[in-house]
Amino acid sequence: MPPLFHRILIANRGEVAVRVARACDALGITPVFALSEADRAAPYTRDREVVVLGPARAAQSYLDVERVVQAAVQARCSALHPGWGFLSENPLLATLCAQHGVTFIGPPPHVTTLMGSKTRAKAAMRAAGMQLIPGSDGVLTSVEHAKAVAADVGFPVLFKAENGGGGRGMRIARSAGEVETAYGEAQAEARAAFGGDRVFLEKLVEAGRHVEIQILADRYGHAVHLGERDCTVQRNHQKLIEESPSPAISNDVRAATCAAAARAAAAVGYVGAGTMELLLDGDVLRFMEMNCRLQVEHTVSEERTGKDLVTAQIEIAAGRPLAWTQDTIPLTGHVIECRINAEDPANGFAPAPGTITTWRPPVGDGIRVDTHVEAGYVVPPFYDSLLAKIIVTGRDRDDAIARMLAALAAFEVTGVPTTIPMHAQILASDAFRTGAYDTRAIPGWP
Amino acid sequence: MRVHEKSVIATARTINAAPSAAADAAIVLASPLPGLFRIALKVGDVVRPGTVLGELEVLGQLIAVVAPPTASGAVTAICGAHARPAVDHGAMLVTLDPHASAAPGAVTAAAATTSTTGLVFRAPTSGRFYGRPGPDKPAFLTAGAELVPGTTVCLLEVMKTFHRVTYGGTGLPERARVRDVLVADGDDVNAGDALLALDPA
Repeated sequence: MPPLFHRILIANRGEVAVRVARACDALGITPVFALSEADRAAPYTRDREVVVLGPARAAQSYLDVERVVQAAVQARCSALHPGWGFLSENPLLATLCAQHGVTFIGPPPHVTTLMGSKTRAKAAMRAAGMQLIPGSDGVLTSVEHAKAVAADVGFPVLFKAENGGGGRGMRIARSAGEVETAYGEAQAEARAAFGGDRVFLEKLVEAGRHVEIQILADRYGHAVHLGERDCTVQRNHQKLIEESPSPAISNDVRAATCAAAARAAAAVGYVGAGTMELLLDGDVLRFMEMNCRLQVEHTVSEERTGKDLVTAQIEIAAGRPLAWTQDTIPLTGHVIECRINAEDPANGFAPAPGTITTWRPPVGDGIRVDTHVEAGYVVPPFYDSLLAKIIVTGRDRDDAIARMLAALAAFEVTGVPTTIPMHAQILASDAFRTGAYDTRAIPGWP
Repeated sequence: MRVHEKSVIATARTINAAPSAAADAAIVLASPLPGLFRIALKVGDVVRPGTVLGELEVLGQLIAVVAPPTASGAVTAICGAHARPAVDHGAMLVTLDPHASAAPGAVTAAAATTSTTGLVFRAPTSGRFYGRPGPDKPAFLTAGAELVPGTTVCLLEVMKTFHRVTYGGTGLPERARVRDVLVADGDDVNAGDALLALDPA
């Protein structure tokens, strides 16, 4: 068995940094936090080793590839975990890590590049038996190009950041007149969030549901799936609630698509944790993109399978073969996750940086809370607004909903407005309970 | 000095150290990057704007670190008495006593005092200020522009999303004229910071 790493650089912040550090602690590895000046006093870095990358601005800290790799080198870390967002899907980071003797915990850069190139990714997925959404062949080169492709696939169309994720850098155009604005805004947001302004477009499948499949693959060509997650409850393409299993797909479709996704991952040489994002269009799950990284909602699959995805990522990066075969991965119960953001749902979801004065997360059987926040934490205005995730496990969907409602009611936060009341209203609604909703509207929320 | 020669040959970048004032009014010149630092100075040396402090090794590149235009004084403390210590962004490289060298030609930073006593429009939330809709687009407002309720003032980037800020609010007249835009594109502003100086129109 190849040995594990002694020290891992965590090139991220907030909740994911805490999650990776917990996996390091479990494996006896020393985590080193690479952080910006704005996160220097963050409670989760207390009594931890840190390297300060740069100022608050992400472009000069969390998004600066050279600073991040140099931090790993000078902190004597033999591996680097990129978390999600920021540089997690930047193949340059993985390449530079390799050049400087640091193991990148994630897929090899050529696979990330392949999946980042939409034409090639789609061709690879078609060959592996996945269904596709019509759209542009790769990145748009100009407004004229965008107009031509949009006219070709038919309106409405959706602009997406090539390096995107987490719903940032996305805009809809419903007619030719809206293309220029939507394209420009998607580019501007992509530049701010991901350090690149490459944008592509796809036909907007309305009334669809967003379903994704968690994949784990080792270096030796073995890939397994850990079931699907339904992330249909979204606002502006920002996921709010994720659950597993999806209430909207049949067992036949589930079994066939999950197996095909694992096969496709193995076919493209995927290594590590990844997610196939799909759109349920009628009865067909169509491939949208593959996220070559750990996802925020990986916790849903962890709770359903009892497996630790982050320790598995680290073991795979160290060269160990996959510890599980498909038939040793149980998929039991029903899991729901609510993302708690520092946003004011009563005021158009305005982001609300500020100081948390009270912070009492719920505890109890079947309740997991992942967070980096504690009382006194100052939510900085520079980064995203995720404060915590509540993950509950129930016998079935109704049981999970009841547990989540109790957990939300028990969660005490003051200092900044949060999305807790919105989640309580959604989960209590008939629309959510019956599953009669799609990506166009939030069930139970006007 | 040998280190300087080496850096000139080997490096592709030169970065100004970021000055930050220490408690006793000494000037601390800090590292702008994480890296391995070799000091080029010793205690007692005089630093003027442009003096090379040392070189920073970042992923094998040797980068000269020079003193910024506002720094001048005698070196009272240095980082890197031992070979190549790893420094973080913001780590002290040298500390200067500015009084020890009243050298002619030393640059004094004249803080531009902008009067914000008159009528001002303030930021509704903290975030990053953008005065134009895109990098190659004209500014929303320039001095002399007229403001009515709903006029776009700027975009504020808050938690990676852009928010359009429009004119209006309590204590502001129905119509006003921009005297001055008080912040530059890309500046971080706090809620309540003055963004525009106004004249009643």
